[in-house]
Amino acid sequence: MHIVDGALSVPVLAGGAALAIAGVAVGLKKMDYDHLPQVGILSAAFFIASYIHLPIGFSSVHLILNGLIGLALGWAAFPALLVALLLQAVFFGFGGFLVLGVNTLNIALPAVLVYGLCRGGIVSSSPKVAATWGAVGGAGAVAITTVMVAASLALSGEAFLLAAKATLIAHIPVMIVEGFVTGAAVLLIRKVKPEFLNLSEEWEGG
Amino acid sequence: MVNQLIKALPRCFKGLFVLVPVILLSSPFVFAHNVVGGVYALGSLIEGEAGFSNGDMAKPGTAVKILDSNGALIAETSTDEEGIFSYQATRRIDHHFLLDLSSGHVLKLVLPADELPENLSSEAKSVAQTAVPSVDKTLSGSDARIDSEKLQQMIEKAVAKQVKPLRKELSAYKEKASLQDVLGGLGYIFGLCGIGIWIRQRKQEQDLKDKQRQEQARATVS
Repeated sequence: MHIVDGALSVPVLAGGAALAIAGVAVGLKKMDYDHLPQVGILSAAFFIASYIHLPIGFSSVHLILNGLIGLALGWAAFPALLVALLLQAVFFGFGGFLVLGVNTLNIALPAVLVYGLCRGGIVSSSPKVAATWGAVGGAGAVAITTVMVAASLALSGEAFLLAAKATLIAHIPVMIVEGFVTGAAVLLIRKVKPEFLNLSEEWEGG
Repeated sequence: MVNQLIKALPRCFKGLFVLVPVILLSSPFVFAHNVVGGVYALGSLIEGEAGFSNGDMAKPGTAVKILDSNGALIAETSTDEEGIFSYQATRRIDHHFLLDLSSGHVLKLVLPADELPENLSSEAKSVAQTAVPSVDKTLSGSDARIDSEKLQQMIEKAVAKQVKPLRKELSAYKEKASLQDVLGGLGYIFGLCGIGIWIRQRKQEQDLKDKQRQEQARATVS
């Protein structure tokens, strides 16, 4: 998921940075400052998630969690993810500083899209429907991110279809795990702490 | 409610356990992780390896471009099954190694000139020419010089061999983030949140004060 420095051309870097700044600006404007601690918690969750590699068979995957972050935060996902990605670059050496904008865009924009698409689903009164939409959101966000990563590489000269196919196939296990985790998380949060997903206003409870 | 969740979990897990191994076995791709690698000089032979931070090595046949410090291509080689590549240096210059491990994972490695043996010249010379001096000396008959030169080469090779695993371990250690890093990052995030909340708090208090003042002003007017 993290593109490293040196893989992208300058126009792609600049474009990504500009769009990421715009996204962060919208996020900061739309963010409900009463939910600031929640933004921090999810930012921290993302920061840690990439560090913890879950062993599956002979390889390992790490969660991305951008679907869950999107469902919970909406546009505020942009600032939350920017901070987390910056700190990952500083502490873990994931990605890099020049590609920070592109990486933020690639991970945060799918989160916002998922918020738009699946938000209606997770407020459904049926837990099954909500969990399904949560899973779709979790897996979908990873899929969109993958396509965006491939597109960034394609704009820098790599063959798009080849890159997209390779990254997409490589991330199928991540999508499955991510979908499962996000679905379960939505189910659990709905029961235990509906206000964490900002459900209290729209949802009467079941 | 919670019972339903608990009941649903095993079913989901079962599906996961069946699906994931099937996909993993059918896709020999590496996942998004950091790229790591290193180059080491064994005498004039440069050996390098490339892979991912989770222990997977680079795919066999990954192209390795070798450039000089001006960016001019010196040679090209490729990785073997274990992600290892090697190159016989003919010049004592900085060697830059460039690998593209696909999906935005590029790796740049540098072997500084001073790690290469001193008997290699920094100029572009053919291998035969660099070998000439030792032949000359054989003819001139100063056996002691040859022996000491050969000995030096042998020592260099032996030391390089001994140090190689240590270097590998060190580079792996450098890549590994420690608990301090994790805690430090979390601290930053919570600290930023704290600052945000503090600023907000101040603003709210200011607003409140302004309101009170306005009300007081209104009260005095009326």
